[in-house]
Amino acid sequence: MISLLSTLLVPGLALGGVDAPQTSWSVFAEKVYTSTGDTLENALVVVTDGKISAITPGAKALDDSLSATAVTAGLIDASASIHVGTRAVEQSSEVTPAMSMEFGVDVFDYRWERLMRSGVTTAFVPPQSRNVVGGMGVLLKTAGDDSLEARKIEGAPLLCGAIGSLPSSGNRPASGRPTSFYNRRPTTRMGVEWEWRKCLFDAAQAPAEGAGKDVDVLQDVLAGKIGAFIEAYPTQDIRTAVFLKEEMQREGFGEMRLIVDAGAEAWREPEMLVRSSTAVILPPMPSNGRTNDSAFMAANTAKVLQDAGVQFAISADDARTGPLGIEAGLAMRGGLTREEALRAVTITPAQILGVDDRVGTVEVGKDADLVLWNGEPFEVTTRPIGVLVNGRLALDPR
Amino acid sequence: MAATLTLTAPVSALVQVDKTAIKAGKVITLDGEPIENGIIVIEGGRVTAVGSQEDVQIPWDAEVIEQPTMTAFPGFVEAHVSRGIDRANETLDVAPFLNVRDSIDPVNFYFEGALRHGIVAVNVQQGEDTVVAGQGMVVKPFGMTVEAMMIKPRSGIKMSAAPKRGKSRATQAQALRGAFDDLKRYLEDMVQRKADGNDFDRREALYQGRELEGEAAKGKPLNSTAWQIDGFEQIPRGEVDEKQEPLLHVIEGNMPVFMWCGSPADVHTALRVAEANGFTKNMTLALDDSCWKAAPKIKEAGVHVILESNLTHRERDPITGKEIETFVPKVYHDAGIKFALSSSNDANRSLWFQVAQCVAGGIPRNAAMAAATSTPAMILGLGDRLGATKVGADGHVVLFSGDPLSVTSHVEHVLLDGKHVYDRSKDVRVQQLNDGTRPPGTVAEEPEEYEGDGDDGEESEDESGDGNDGDQS
Repeated sequence: MISLLSTLLVPGLALGGVDAPQTSWSVFAEKVYTSTGDTLENALVVVTDGKISAITPGAKALDDSLSATAVTAGLIDASASIHVGTRAVEQSSEVTPAMSMEFGVDVFDYRWERLMRSGVTTAFVPPQSRNVVGGMGVLLKTAGDDSLEARKIEGAPLLCGAIGSLPSSGNRPASGRPTSFYNRRPTTRMGVEWEWRKCLFDAAQAPAEGAGKDVDVLQDVLAGKIGAFIEAYPTQDIRTAVFLKEEMQREGFGEMRLIVDAGAEAWREPEMLVRSSTAVILPPMPSNGRTNDSAFMAANTAKVLQDAGVQFAISADDARTGPLGIEAGLAMRGGLTREEALRAVTITPAQILGVDDRVGTVEVGKDADLVLWNGEPFEVTTRPIGVLVNGRLALDPR
Repeated sequence: MAATLTLTAPVSALVQVDKTAIKAGKVITLDGEPIENGIIVIEGGRVTAVGSQEDVQIPWDAEVIEQPTMTAFPGFVEAHVSRGIDRANETLDVAPFLNVRDSIDPVNFYFEGALRHGIVAVNVQQGEDTVVAGQGMVVKPFGMTVEAMMIKPRSGIKMSAAPKRGKSRATQAQALRGAFDDLKRYLEDMVQRKADGNDFDRREALYQGRELEGEAAKGKPLNSTAWQIDGFEQIPRGEVDEKQEPLLHVIEGNMPVFMWCGSPADVHTALRVAEANGFTKNMTLALDDSCWKAAPKIKEAGVHVILESNLTHRERDPITGKEIETFVPKVYHDAGIKFALSSSNDANRSLWFQVAQCVAGGIPRNAAMAAATSTPAMILGLGDRLGATKVGADGHVVLFSGDPLSVTSHVEHVLLDGKHVYDRSKDVRVQQLNDGTRPPGTVAEEPEEYEGDGDDGEESEDESGDGNDGDQS
């Protein structure tokens, strides 16, 4: 993991074109939290051409090193709702698997920079949860050139949708009987669940070729090639998602890869999540425990999932709610160790999103996505003072 | 009554002895350096000794609380909040004769939550949607009656320079000035009536049930730096109408004013009105996050400020669309303006959180800590009683499991006036928030803001379809 200093290029010397931003640095910190279980004291992390090229503990800062009290890998938010409001979900049908957030995300949105300033360097954007099956999410770096191609990174493809009351909310006529052709369906939680089962059954029974793009996507979901990323706050909806996966298995349609997003009540039945190998993304911790969809999120939720062995990531959901680092801190307040909290905002979301070969740890060869902190990470008394994204200095600590 | 107290409060007032000694692993006094293995002695509700174990003798008959792993702390002071009361705002524009004493609800969850986060004193004031509101009071967040909670009555009058609902900025400024013009006219009329031999004011005062003897029978010249009313010294003070009297106290400098400003422009209105009526010295500004832009003006006026709970001001450059972030407390700190922090005390965002954010934002720890302890105490005129553990101060001690500003620390015990009023291990609601268990014997409570399945109210901001819905935070 740690290569020798002698093998590295001299940092600070310009590489690439004259106008290209500098992507080679050395970063010195009293503590480097690697997310691999190691904490390196007085370590020098060398970045060459946007990648981490060397890590030397017990070193000294170079003259031109960026310095910080602590360094972690760039944080990863696995459910960042940065999109263009209600226009971020297609409503021509309840089930729109072939839609992609790639065409609904705005890299010019100011919230990307706010996310970056909070230490998030990679964010997954699912479509809004107003559709039962909304479409494919998109994974982006939070800084870089202002184009989708420059920001986007290829991870595990994920089909996003929701189970619960949110996709049916508002689906009733303003007046008159709810039987009109013009009002949107489903109108109940049951109807939402039925839409899921129907589309999966239909896809399973459709021909393997030529049934259309929507069916192709759903068939890949059944085959486990595309993950099912399902928003479900209360335990009853988490159960519905797990039972859906298990039903498809029993029917012999295939083994879905299930990720429960916003699983506020995951603490109620962690053994069910272990049994079904379901990964969970936790929403931000509300102060009174009450989340969307009338769910109750206990303060020790992350601790319960950690102890039960559930794969989970912590999300800040949106740049509006608060920094992801603070959410990790609140998970520590609920009982996680700093190391466990760190994993839940770095390497674990990277694994869930299928990009753990590129991001999520401070290791040689990985993308140089680094956060420089002015104290112990995730304490409220600490904030990110510098951020590197792909080796580019997005937030300057100097 | 006593039975009700133990049942409804999360804690019980078990220890009722007159002398209490706290031995803690660390004592943060905020009156000098922290003391390792320190002792605090509280007698008759006041601190009588504080120091190291070598220096302080524990009285033989004192109840001793020994917590060698915990950190003792004087407790946070909430400088200004409109919670714990029935509706915070009046429909009346000018109502300085009202008193929050009549609307404080001692069993309101707010007080319970404040105690749980180490807040030992709260200045309860009416809300922002007003011109001149009623008088607030400083209370402890514990007690079954307002009297039992009280630290200081009449802590100040709430006013607003920001437009009340339905008013424009101009009408608000006029209404605020008008409140004082009305007082002036009333006092001048009094003098005129007295000169005319009309005893209307005397009869009215007697009708209001006032004693017009002793001090109340005497007249005094108006003690104002800004106003003069010829002949006012002839008016017995007791004859001033009780509805007008609070504002008379304001212009004479005897009643503090908490003036809300919702924008930098409001700061100018507030300072002008205060200057014209001579109460700049007894005014504290309660400020919206955007008001940092008025910092030079505030510095010049020499007033103290209280910051609302959002500490990061965000605005977008109208041309580039870039977001500009300003960490507000740093602006006041750098300008040398005394500022107090405030919180609405959500479980995750209490005063400790506000202080910790200030440290993260680059304010030295002592200065950040002062903003939620000694500065609010000073603003409330309670600097000798609150905000530091020193001899003579009120016997409030908060025992934290660790550093008060660490995200992993919790408030384990609270003593108010030397009485043990909070014990985290017996706090059933903490247990419920922490692991979701409902303690035996408690009834499952329906969420207050239950929206119902399929209700479209929940995500109403998304209905607007506006792509920039992030601005409303």
